[in-house]
Order: sequence, then C-alpha cells, then structure tokens
Amino acid sequence: MSAAAPAVAAPNRRAGAGGTARRAAEAALFLGLGLYFAVPMIAVLLYSLATRWTAEVLPEAYTLTWWQSTLADPEILAAFQTTLVLATLTAAVDVALVVPAAYWARVRNPRIRPLVETSAAIPFALPYLVIGFALLQFSGIVAPGLQGTFPLVVLGHCAIAFPFVYWAVDGSMAAAGIERLSEAGETCGAPPWQIIRRIVFPNITPGIVSGSLLAFATSFGEFALTQMVGRGIYTIPIWSASAIRSYSGESGDFNRLAVVTMISFFVLFVLSAIVVYFNRGQAARLLPGAATVDKREQP
Amino acid sequence: MGATASAGSTPIVRESRPTRPSRSSGWIAAWLPAIPLLALVALGLVGPAIVLVAQTFVDAGGFTVAQWTRVLGQAVNQEAIVTSVALGLCSATISLIIGAPVAALVSRMLAGGRAFWLGLLNVAANFGGIGLAFAYLATLGSVGMLTLIIQSLLPSFVPPRSSSVIALLLAYEYTNIPLFVLLTIPAFGVLRDEWWEAAQTASATRVQFWRRVGIPVLTPFLASGWLLIFTWAIGIYGIAYGLAGQSGGTGARIITLQIGSAIQSDVLNGTARAGVLSVVLMAIATVSLLSYRALLRRALRWF
Repeated sequence: MSAAAPAVAAPNRRAGAGGTARRAAEAALFLGLGLYFAVPMIAVLLYSLATRWTAEVLPEAYTLTWWQSTLADPEILAAFQTTLVLATLTAAVDVALVVPAAYWARVRNPRIRPLVETSAAIPFALPYLVIGFALLQFSGIVAPGLQGTFPLVVLGHCAIAFPFVYWAVDGSMAAAGIERLSEAGETCGAPPWQIIRRIVFPNITPGIVSGSLLAFATSFGEFALTQMVGRGIYTIPIWSASAIRSYSGESGDFNRLAVVTMISFFVLFVLSAIVVYFNRGQAARLLPGAATVDKREQP
Repeated sequence: MGATASAGSTPIVRESRPTRPSRSSGWIAAWLPAIPLLALVALGLVGPAIVLVAQTFVDAGGFTVAQWTRVLGQAVNQEAIVTSVALGLCSATISLIIGAPVAALVSRMLAGGRAFWLGLLNVAANFGGIGLAFAYLATLGSVGMLTLIIQSLLPSFVPPRSSSVIALLLAYEYTNIPLFVLLTIPAFGVLRDEWWEAAQTASATRVQFWRRVGIPVLTPFLASGWLLIFTWAIGIYGIAYGLAGQSGGTGARIITLQIGSAIQSDVLNGTARAGVLSVVLMAIATVSLLSYRALLRRALRWF
C-alpha cells in the first residue's frame, strides 16, 4: 500500500494540460531571474572595457587602458592594500576570539552560550551605520585619541563580523561532537592547549574556513562603519564612494570605478564559491538564529 | 529507593566542593576563554549602544527629552522616517512575492541545478554597497546599458532619477530577493511529500492542499523572512549613499542618509539629529528582532 502511493502520486503531480503552461512559466521565471542577475554585471564589465559609451546600445570600441591605468594607480593600490589588511585582521581576530569562547561554552560553562548568542543578535539586527555612529560617540568619551585610527576601525569590523564566525564555528563544533572528542583527549591526559590545537582545530576546519571567509567578506565590502569611525582610512568602498560622488561626466572616472567594482565583485564571488563548497551546497545564510531557538526549545 | 539513592549521593557532591580551587579562581577558569570575545562585544557593541541611547536623553542640564521633541518635530526627519519605513515595507513585500515562488522551485530542483542557483543567489545576495550602486547606474542610469537599449526601441524613455525612491527600491531588490530566497529555501523542505500524498488520498485538490496545509505551515517562515528583509532594508546605507551621489541633497530622504549627512555637514545640530534617528532605527530593529524570534519559535514546531 505504502509502496504504491508514490507511484500514483508521481504521474498525478505532472498530469493535465496545466503541465506545459507551468513548465513555460517556470522557464520564463528563471530566464528573467538569470537576466536580472546578469545584466548589471555585464554593464559593469562593458564599462570597464569601453572607450566611449554614451549613445549606442553597445560601446563604440573596447580597450584595456582602464584596467592598466587602474592597476597602476598608486591610490587605488593603496586602498586595496588597506582593505585586504583590514579584512584579514578582522577574520583572524574574530577566529582567535570566537573559537575559545565557543569551545568553552560547549565543554565547561554553558552560561557563556546565551550571552554570546544575544551579543551576536546585535550586529545581526542593527544597521552597521548605527553601530558605527554609536562607536564614534563611545570612543569620543572613552578614548578620543583612538578616533579616526586604524585600530578603532579594526575593532568595529571585528564587532560586526564576529556573529558569522560564531555561527559557523559553533555549527561545526556541534557537527563534530566536540564535547566527546575533548573528553576523549582529556582521558588520554592531553593538556588543554594540546586538545585545542590537535583535536578542536582539525575537527572544525570547515567552520573556521567558512566563518573567516564570511568575516573577511563582511569587512571587505563594509562602507557605513568605516566611513563613520575611520576618517582618513582609505578602503576600496571609501574610494568607490568618493569616485561615485565626484563623478563629473569626464571620461575615465566611471571606467576606473567599473574596474574596481569588477575586481571586488570577483573577490566576493570567489569567497562565496568557497563558502558554498565548504557548506556542501547549502546556502551560507540559513535563517540565522534558527538553531539557537531550536536548542532552547529542547533543553 | 529513589529517595535513598539521591540522599546518599548528595554528600558526595558536597564533599568534592572543598577540593576545588577557591571561588574566585573557579570563576576565572569558567569564564576566561570567553572574556576576550565578551570584551570585544562590550567595547564594540554594548557600550557604544548604551552611550548612544543615553546621549539622546542627556544635555548640559541633565535628563531631558528636548532633543527628541526637537528632532521628531522637524518635517525633514518625519519625512525620512515615513519614507524609510515605506521603503522597507515595499522592499520586503516585493521580495516575498517574487522570492517565495523562486524558493519553492529551487528547493525542488535536483542537486546540480540547485547548487548552481544557490551559488548565483549567494553571490547576488552578498553584492551590495557602493558596488551595487554603481552597477545600478551602469544599467539604469542616464547612460546605463538598459536605458540605452530601451531608448533604442522607445526613444521617449526616461529612467527613474537615480536618487529617487523608485531607483533605491529597484537597487535594493537586487540583493533582497536573493536574500529572501536563501532565507526561506530551508522552510520548503518542511513540506513533506507524505502530506501531499495524504491530501491526495483524501481526494484533496492542489489548491486545497496549499490553502489548508502548505500556506499555514509556511506562513511563519515566510513572515520571518519578510521581517528580516524589512529590518535590513531600513538600515541600508551604502547603496543609498552611492545612488544619492549626484543629487546634491534633492533625492530621496531616508533615515540612514539623514544620519550620514547630519554628521558630515550639520555642525550645530548634527549629533543630536544623528543620535535620535539612530535610536529610532535601533528601536525598529529591536522590535523586528523580537518578533522574528517569536515567529521562528512557532515555525520550528515542524522540525
């Protein structure tokens, strides 16, 4: 009886005259979606390769000049360097802070967990612009000397990016069953640092990789917070913002911006691809906080 | 029997207590590995948030609500709040209308097609800020690609002004629809094939199945996705900053742009305006987050 049911259900599902119309509608939806994703990207790519493009549907001619001049521009190169250093530091600091806390919450002190999870909800819900302004006001009271400095920008980026690392690392620890592995290590007489280095880290590599890449990507594209707290810190989003604002209609301005946008897009694309790969086809952002509520419901 | 056993075990627990290190060092051992992270949170998030809220209620003379009455009384700020909320509502609703069917279809795909679309959606969802603003200008700006294509067919076509609310909405959707799809795809896994089979056994039609089973089960998931998009859309700054670029302050008035310009150009009144508007955004985000959690709790019954 139960074996027969799917056999009946399967043809029924696709039967009827509605089948072809439904297929056509689906195909149209996905074609539209594909175009919708692709067209802006193609436009940016063509802008980065166009000599002049003001009247025709396609550029009049193509050139690599903009790519060459952009990649040789010391200002843009410096901005790339700053952005990469900032993003790398953010990812590294967040991993270094999150892994011990998440580990300890699992093996020793469960009271750490609700604290960290509530903290992770702050950058999840609050606009980064508001966090940036709050940090600006706070630093004005606590440490005016830090205002506009690189360390303050790093602090801000770490604060907004840490939830991504926490969710990824904590998920990995749950999947690896880190409590039991750690217990086994203790039974064998391994000291804590050895347990962390030789048991915890190797078993949560997927979480650390995807968490740190998400933190890197967050920092790499972050504009609002950097603009608020980092007067004079010149990252790629800040450079792009001033380029888009100072646009005078002169040829070249937008083309260089197109090159920078393509490069940033490519970086984000590669990061997303790696994260998706490490999550084995799962989307990187599944209803965040879902696991949290789930666990609290069943103590 | 049970009572004796538990009575017998209690002294053993008590006995082991004195062998532990003193109370304070026990506390340190229990919390030490988490302290750096909690310090980051305190210095980077909680402390700043408290200062921000406190500053809007304090002036030289002590506690006051004068800043609030003044800022909320200004027409510019009222307009900004209304526009931002309307923009968030529209953005989330469009994401829901387009995103829900896409999520339903992608969730039923075979592994290969699924991975392809998930990857594509992921890239689009992560593309934002100034880069997206520029991509919008390159597509639908005054000499954007799509503008030129449409104009070659329909010469009278004029694209929406890049700093207008319509342009913001169009640009926001580029990331919001994919985000909505990614957020809600797992929900469609909740609808089990057996339920559809059971409905068929009871000779229910497809419409009846969706009305009585599908939609009621999915509603909390879709609603929580909608709420997140609404919350995030209100807080978007980079895209709006890039698109407002050449308008010189005549474009759409939204809360985030008002905060940014208050700090950069309004020397006298700027901090108070930015502070009150920031706390308004904070309040909206907090209410949304709490509702999101409540909704999620309902939704997760099915897991």
